[in-house]
Amino acid sequence: MSVSTPGGTQRPSSDESTAKRGAAGAKPAAGKAPGTRSGAGQTSGRRPAGKGPGSKGKGRKPVTPVKVSQGPAWGPIALFTAVGMLAVGIIGYGAYAVIEGTKSWQERAAEIPGIINVRETDPKHLEYERHLPGKIEYTKYIPPVGGVHNNAWQNCMGDVYDAPIANEHAVHSLEHGAVWITYRPDLPKDQVEKLAERVRGKEKMMMSPYEGLDAPISLQAWGYQLKVDHADDKRIDDFIKALRVNASIEGPNALCANGVTETGTTPRDDAAGHAELVNP
Amino acid sequence: MTTVTMAETPVEEIAPARPGPRYSLFALTLAIIVGLVLGYLGGLLTPFVTKPGDDSPEAGFARDMTTHHAQAVEMGLIAYRNSDNPAVRQIAIDIATNQQGEIGMMQSWLRRWKLDPTGSQPPMAWMPNGAAMVRDGLMPGMATPEEMEQLRRARGREGDILFAELMIKHHIGGIHMVDAILMRTNDEEVIEAATRMKNTQRTEVNILRQLLQDLKESAKDN
Repeated sequence: MSVSTPGGTQRPSSDESTAKRGAAGAKPAAGKAPGTRSGAGQTSGRRPAGKGPGSKGKGRKPVTPVKVSQGPAWGPIALFTAVGMLAVGIIGYGAYAVIEGTKSWQERAAEIPGIINVRETDPKHLEYERHLPGKIEYTKYIPPVGGVHNNAWQNCMGDVYDAPIANEHAVHSLEHGAVWITYRPDLPKDQVEKLAERVRGKEKMMMSPYEGLDAPISLQAWGYQLKVDHADDKRIDDFIKALRVNASIEGPNALCANGVTETGTTPRDDAAGHAELVNP
Repeated sequence: MTTVTMAETPVEEIAPARPGPRYSLFALTLAIIVGLVLGYLGGLLTPFVTKPGDDSPEAGFARDMTTHHAQAVEMGLIAYRNSDNPAVRQIAIDIATNQQGEIGMMQSWLRRWKLDPTGSQPPMAWMPNGAAMVRDGLMPGMATPEEMEQLRRARGREGDILFAELMIKHHIGGIHMVDAILMRTNDEEVIEAATRMKNTQRTEVNILRQLLQDLKESAKDN
């Protein structure tokens, strides 16, 4: 351990500094240190007893000189470069995966071009004290994206409604994490079918035609809205992936079942058979 | 990247003077540093690499079984509300609460795995030929919208029989999906939960079959 190799030509000062910097693991130090040492090599300052920190590396020194000949050691350089690049690749990919994987649904929603985030722009609009029965005027966002609503929610178990439904129940479904797809009644049948394929059989999804839309298709989640022109628009799937269930105010256990299954834009909160079960 | 380029230059400088020892010490130090850094980063990244991914069978199962369970909850709640048969109401509420609890469990898996409740693949894509089993968005055993509407409207013995029939079919489809995940996962928590689901649903199928038989016999008697 303390034995110096024949060419053991370390000056204590450089030896120490190398070890210290090396131990600190600082990248700039690792680059600088060899430069210092090359100078030290020429001034053959002998020092038998290894100064603690540096001696660790000396133990293995005798092995390598045999392999390395005069001139640049291309083999090891290539090896180092290859290993280094591999390491950088692994670390880079890992970092990318971590960053992508931990992107919140809010961040991913914000990246959808054209999305409206009322939670951010108009949070007051979404606040309410208690459920209100009967008709409620929703004028600010059409279709509505949140705010006060009826006691009963619209059934959102992958229900494809063929006629308009009541805003007052639909908004409650949004609160429970549903994505509500609405379309102008004149949307071509094949596009309606493409939308329905995204809804059928999937809880926390529902769709209905909507009179007076200013775009062919409009998607709603609690506090979010996206208007698109065609059912093939990829943003529809991005919206659903980011916001279905995630946008729920009440979490993934909020019910979509046992809601209002009737169509018609008149709210049915006072109708017998509904209010009794929901929100006990 | 920077580490590599900086490392090259000194090596070239040193080589002519005292190639062996210089290079060796430097190499060893660098190897140790790189090793430590890699090890540390590897440790940091391991949970992200080993957790089920977005298209994994585990994530597919958690999402699709949530959907499958959600309909069982709906059927159970409908029967609990509409039936006047104590045995039917008993098993209906048992199924509804149990499966809703399991939905919460599966959703928290997804959250822990940092995955959305919604996948990028079609339903059942995690099972071989799984996507082919889906009809109109419905997974094996799931009731059609028409059947659900029938169940909502049915009352009395007719409703009880329909509930038992639909739920037996539903559970058998569910057990099929459970078997599929048990063949594909090594995740202990998923295996444990899936096994429990299978046992529970099997027992419930037996109870429902007995119930159905009783209901049909009492219909004949009258």
